[in-house]
Amino acid sequence: MTAATAPAIETITPPPLSAAEVKDHLSLIADMTLVFSASHSFDVVAKSALERVAKYVGAEAASFFMLDDSAQTLICTACYGPVDITGLRLPATAGIVGRCIQTQEAGIVRDVRKDADFGASVDAKTGFITKSILVAPLTVGTQRLGAIEVINKNVGDNLFSPNDLALLHTLSRAAALAIHNLRLTDKLVLQERERHELELAAEIQRDLLPQAQSKDFPIHGINVPARAVSGDFYDILPRPDGRIWFNIADVSGKGMNAALLMAKTSSLFRCLAKSAEHPGQLLNAINSELCETNSHGMFVTMVGGLFDPATGVVRLTNAGHEPPLLFDIMRESFMSIPADAPPLGIATGIAGPDGYPVVELDLKGGSLYIFTDGLTEATTFGGGMLGLDGVRALIRDHTEESPDLRLKHIAGAVKLPGKPLHDDLTLLVVEDNGVRSAPPKPPGVQFEANAGVIMRIRVPAMADRLKLIRTAAMQAAAYCSCNEAWTQDLVLAVDEACQNIIRHAYGGVEGAGDIVVDFARDGDSLSVFLMDFAPPVDTAQIKSRDINDVRPGGLGVHLIKSVTDDARFLPPPPGVGNLFKLTKRLPPKVDCQG
Amino acid sequence: MTFDVKDVNGTVVVALTGDVDLQSSPVVRQQLLECLDKHKRLVVDLGAVSYIDSSGVASLVEAFQVSRKKTAYFALAAVSPAAMRVLSLARLDKVFTIHADVNAATAAQG
Repeated sequence: MTAATAPAIETITPPPLSAAEVKDHLSLIADMTLVFSASHSFDVVAKSALERVAKYVGAEAASFFMLDDSAQTLICTACYGPVDITGLRLPATAGIVGRCIQTQEAGIVRDVRKDADFGASVDAKTGFITKSILVAPLTVGTQRLGAIEVINKNVGDNLFSPNDLALLHTLSRAAALAIHNLRLTDKLVLQERERHELELAAEIQRDLLPQAQSKDFPIHGINVPARAVSGDFYDILPRPDGRIWFNIADVSGKGMNAALLMAKTSSLFRCLAKSAEHPGQLLNAINSELCETNSHGMFVTMVGGLFDPATGVVRLTNAGHEPPLLFDIMRESFMSIPADAPPLGIATGIAGPDGYPVVELDLKGGSLYIFTDGLTEATTFGGGMLGLDGVRALIRDHTEESPDLRLKHIAGAVKLPGKPLHDDLTLLVVEDNGVRSAPPKPPGVQFEANAGVIMRIRVPAMADRLKLIRTAAMQAAAYCSCNEAWTQDLVLAVDEACQNIIRHAYGGVEGAGDIVVDFARDGDSLSVFLMDFAPPVDTAQIKSRDINDVRPGGLGVHLIKSVTDDARFLPPPPGVGNLFKLTKRLPPKVDCQG
Repeated sequence: MTFDVKDVNGTVVVALTGDVDLQSSPVVRQQLLECLDKHKRLVVDLGAVSYIDSSGVASLVEAFQVSRKKTAYFALAAVSPAAMRVLSLARLDKVFTIHADVNAATAAQG
């Protein structure tokens, strides 16, 4: 017989303690309980607690072994003794400590060599020699937390006594309770932190929504989240040219993941809208970006549009969103604008070359209402769903109110007091006041004369005025004392440039606009600035034709380039359509005195 | 711009006077094409042309191209310095048949 087969654990009824021993025991237990309960972190006090216990019973070492969350592994979370085994991991059933946890029995092993469950691997690793063990489970109710071990008594007869065991058992209960309480506290702290973080997220999300607009602004919105954070959003983005971008969107799902996708999509809209001109192309670009990184099968429905308060015209794209309602105030009638594109973030390549389809709506003094399904599917006071008819009725009921107040009342009609909404609710209104601003002033009435100007001539862009311009060019050349040949070339260049304005910039329509010509002295050159008020021409299309290609037309640019030193389009001043500048070096002065 | 049309020994001579520009060139073009429609020999006298622009030159080019198709005779005569400057800038001085005066132009066989 070399190894014991029966457990060597001893559970002996302790003999009565002397009065002094009782006092000592109680004093230690009271001390330790106080330390455990006052601590905010068990790990901080565990090491000193083990030291006190070990010294009290006269042992060489002591350790706490805790079960991990899976209850499959034991981890040494604190230890006292000649070797540090903190962090050591064992299978939950391994060794004498594992047996104690499984059986929930405290005990004494006076000679580990006689215990079949003793695992020598730890000793082999550390060089420590385990002789005897005192062990007690850490348990609260039916919940197993771990065990406390005290090793190698080296005072007196070197044998752990039943009184040692009784003391450890009592201490282990106090420790288990302290650990349990601290874990509960940690959980509460974590919950509180998460709640605080959610509040911060909600605050940041509210900041992503546009500021409240002034009462006379044509677009207003409202967002009522069902939870702390919302998957809905809207945005209003005025452009420098007076037009206004707007959008409303609903991210699939609710909670934090929807809120994060909402933040991303709203940022994409804000960023891409600044350089966009066309709602279809804008939504197409947002879709491409979302598809590039989106996962988890989430998508976004969106109505994005551009409103021009000067004309009352809205151009919008509906990507899988609830149909907006156009309310004609005079007729009290509604028109529904259904989606003709799928939601964003599902697949690329859905849209054609011009992006998502765009609908153009003339509001004609009416209002366009765009909303998320949180409104149509909201529960009313009667208990039913509001539905589209309910939305229409609410809009009619509140028509007379200012738009910001109207949105509040409509949202308030479905937000029952004390009851959370079952979905986020967002509502946007685009209002056309029907007042058309005066047509823009004829462009180019006022602009600075070019530097060094000798003469300015302004004539209607008509063929029969070219002779006037040629005469002016001749006189400008004469003013600069230029010879005849030089003058002829200047006249040709100016005339050809004006022809191009009539034929190309104004599209050959006689008198479609004016031509302004500045003749200016610029050092040893004469500069001619030719200005029109036509839409900008595509300068890439203007080129000198191959001179060997003998055919009518297309000669003008070649002639201009042949007789001037420089000819180019310049950025036009405000109000001017195109600015073309000719430069011709003045001829050298002839000394008439000979 | 004015023009004068006369027949010199079976050759139609169109004499242009003044500025041939965007305003007048459509009339010049029409006149030259009409002449080529009816006659086999056409001389354009540019002696009194004070100014010609690219549209005027284009009218001459078109008339030249029609004459080639019809194998008609088409020549320029007495080209004024102003007009010659533009024709040479357009490298057309080597394309057109140009005579020093109307007599030479009408006398030439083509």
